[in-house]
Amino acid sequence: MNIFLKNLKWLSGLLLLTVVMVLAGCNAAVDIDKALEGHLQGPAKIYRHSLGGAPSSLDPVNAATVYTNFIVVNIYDTLYRYKYLARPYEIVPNLAVAMPEVSDDGLIYTIKIKKGVFYADSPVFPNGKGREVIAEDLIYSIKRHFDVANRSQGSWLWDGKIVGLNVWKEAGSNYNQTIPGLKAVDSHTIQITLFKPYPQLTHTFAMGFSALVPHEAVDYYGREFSVYPVGSGPFKMLRYESSNYALMIRNIKYRQEPIDLAFEGYDPKQHKQYGIDKIAGKSPPLVDALKIDFIKESASKWASFTKGSEINYSGLPVEQVEQVLSQKQPTLILTPEMSEKYHMFHTIEAGFVHTDFNMRDPLIGYNDDPVRNKRNKLLRCAIRSAFNWQERNDVFYSGIAIEYPGIIPPVVPEFDPDLSNSSTLHNVNEAKRLMLESGWTPDNLPTLVYGGVASVSTRQIYEQFRGWMKDIGYPEEKVVFDSYASFGDFNKAVKQAKIMIIGMGWILDYPDAQNTLQLFYGPYGSPGSNNSNYNNPDYNRLYEQTSTMQPSTERTQLYRKMNNMVIGDCVSITGLSRDDIFLWHKNVISYPDSQILGGFHLKFVDMLDEEGN
Amino acid sequence: METLQYTLRKIITGIPLILGVTLISFTLMVHFGPDKTYDLLGKNPTQEQITEVRHQLGYDQSFAVRYTQYLKELATMDFGYSDSSGEKVSSILIRTIPVSLALILPGFILGNLLGVILALIAAYHRGHWIDKIIMGVSVMGMSVSFLIVIIAFQVIFSSSKGLDLFPVRGWDVYSFTDYLHYVTVPTLASIFVSLGYNTRFYRAVIVEEMGRDHVRTAKAFGAHPIELLFKSVLKNSLIPIITRIMFSIPLVVISGSLLLESYFGIPGVGKVTYDAIISGDQPILKAVIGLTAIMFVFTLIINDILYKVVDPRISLK
Repeated sequence: MNIFLKNLKWLSGLLLLTVVMVLAGCNAAVDIDKALEGHLQGPAKIYRHSLGGAPSSLDPVNAATVYTNFIVVNIYDTLYRYKYLARPYEIVPNLAVAMPEVSDDGLIYTIKIKKGVFYADSPVFPNGKGREVIAEDLIYSIKRHFDVANRSQGSWLWDGKIVGLNVWKEAGSNYNQTIPGLKAVDSHTIQITLFKPYPQLTHTFAMGFSALVPHEAVDYYGREFSVYPVGSGPFKMLRYESSNYALMIRNIKYRQEPIDLAFEGYDPKQHKQYGIDKIAGKSPPLVDALKIDFIKESASKWASFTKGSEINYSGLPVEQVEQVLSQKQPTLILTPEMSEKYHMFHTIEAGFVHTDFNMRDPLIGYNDDPVRNKRNKLLRCAIRSAFNWQERNDVFYSGIAIEYPGIIPPVVPEFDPDLSNSSTLHNVNEAKRLMLESGWTPDNLPTLVYGGVASVSTRQIYEQFRGWMKDIGYPEEKVVFDSYASFGDFNKAVKQAKIMIIGMGWILDYPDAQNTLQLFYGPYGSPGSNNSNYNNPDYNRLYEQTSTMQPSTERTQLYRKMNNMVIGDCVSITGLSRDDIFLWHKNVISYPDSQILGGFHLKFVDMLDEEGN
Repeated sequence: METLQYTLRKIITGIPLILGVTLISFTLMVHFGPDKTYDLLGKNPTQEQITEVRHQLGYDQSFAVRYTQYLKELATMDFGYSDSSGEKVSSILIRTIPVSLALILPGFILGNLLGVILALIAAYHRGHWIDKIIMGVSVMGMSVSFLIVIIAFQVIFSSSKGLDLFPVRGWDVYSFTDYLHYVTVPTLASIFVSLGYNTRFYRAVIVEEMGRDHVRTAKAFGAHPIELLFKSVLKNSLIPIITRIMFSIPLVVISGSLLLESYFGIPGVGKVTYDAIISGDQPILKAVIGLTAIMFVFTLIINDILYKVVDPRISLK
């Protein structure tokens, strides 16, 4: 005992240090109710959502990921948005008064924005009071993408399209200089002049990239504007911890616009079961606070959701599907236990997964020797025939994804449901026949290098691929895995065209097949988004031709022709769109969507009280 | 005076250590770390845009220039802004290090304290069934993966299918009660895993001490077991125990506990560091590595001073 008494001062010091550290740790944390004190009156409706990843930045110029975009469109305003409930997606005005007035030649867009819309109060403004949103804000926000200091990830949307914008960038991005193609006709009217028609322009104004930013906030926060967002959207950021959570409160200055359910695409058969009819006539946002937790670990995310810490769960992982569903075909049905507790909605993702061949690799792609070039094509076709989409679907996507031929996914209006599915069929005999026909034998086959991030799931996907190759007589040692420590390294190798076979996924930026067709446009080869480096002059010509065409039957036919070219040249093994399952607690009124609509749906989310009102 | 002189001398001699650690780490970071260029670029970038981003990231500068810049940042403690989020690195560390400390300290202290106590008991009853049970449980704790322990503890203590006593994840802490609510399960998991390692190590040290002449003499003299263990055995075993504890501190403070923070959704520095490693966020990595190296130097100094405290025969000269 003596020894303890002698060292009492040491032990006391240690205890004191522990207490200080603990208190410091406590102070760094957040309690929602405490955080909301002084901001909201009365009992608050708090909606807690979980996302499977964290945004890297909240600056609209970096709204490149689903996660960033999810938050950005709730803090900031965009000119346009998509209807809450209508599918296929329909674009409608948001901050804009109406759809743009477009000149007959399709080159001049005139957009009026709503008057009386204010930025949320913030210390960045004089006296802390948010000022009115004006046309110049859109011009400033687009200019920011062309200022190299901002490391924009969205400049590709308007690159080489708006008159004078690239010249402005090359001249040093002086914000005081005007741009001929970006004019504020008056304080609430914007005029955009294009070099050539750009039918997707309106869609770009529904993306987080185009969100309106007040220059005062950028001036005030400088580089840290990415973590202190200030906008005129339905919510205002209260606290944000990158990689952990975002806590937002209702922007009390947000414009009053009662919900017109018919306009939003309400269909009682589909939506009444979720209680959507109860939000009719209310003005968004309908909840007082949003807490979005970023949880990457699926076990943790699931445990937290079932406990009620989050009330919305999106993207059900494979390991939970069997536990949650009692039936997968022909329709998904929840188990009675789950059904009692949760609402469920599922939808085909706005994107697809595909496996590309690197056409710049002479061993599998284009080859200067015409004979080898032809043999390479037949080898690619053989590999595609050996690919078993059904098995891929069963093992990695719970058997509930949709398989289809080509690169136009079902979510876009240009999808062709009648297209032959022969390119997606698993046909070992056909694969063997093609290899025999082109003179490929186990001895002369090239080594297939499958690239991917060093993770369990990628390795499993590769092993499955290797198994299929073995079935068609490919020697096991000739199908190798090229692993990369991080996605950054993998992405770099892809962008430098160093990987022979690339497994990829794509999420659409807007509901137009042009967004997936550009993935195979020759000039967009690595380091562009055309990872396969496909370069077919006929395809390129059609892409250029359609790039200025408004949606029409003729354009759809041309899109489908391009789709057939990709299928015919066996450039990519396609395609599959995953089925996203969303679950949410029954006291929440919601119709979630994680992609095209993304975070836009949050302003329509409402909570029922204990009496169900 | 002797201590002060020793401290200053050690700080000066610690500089080469810091330079060595930072040089090796920086070399690894530059040559083997993820390249962030393409993460920051938009779709269809031109060569000019790629060059711009590489320039902004400093990738186009020579290694010597970049390393010198790093040393300057370390000297001024200004590591700039995160390449991912754009947030000031110092703000990130100020926000996350206290959280990691608050998370790790209870488990760290209890894990070591219990480890010493169990080791004393096991060593005293060496070869007896008590010793065997303690060692068996220790091996069990060491054998189970930390990840499995975390998930199992989450299910048992926190989930709606288990006892449902604690939150599954998060850090909504505003009072000491909240703190206990959030820290209990991570602490239990951390103790469960660390206890085995600690007990085995401390037992080995104590068993060695138990065989010494002065302990045998004390036993022959009829010393009470408690007095014998604490006064004759533990006090003389403190040098390796202190060494083990002290050298764990920099890693605990700066690196935090990645798995605990990830699975319990706790916004500590471990998670931030892990994300920085994966994404190649060099400003954050440089700060964490530099600070860890500096803490090691200070740990060495404190460690040596503590040696003298527990054993006055040791000279700081």
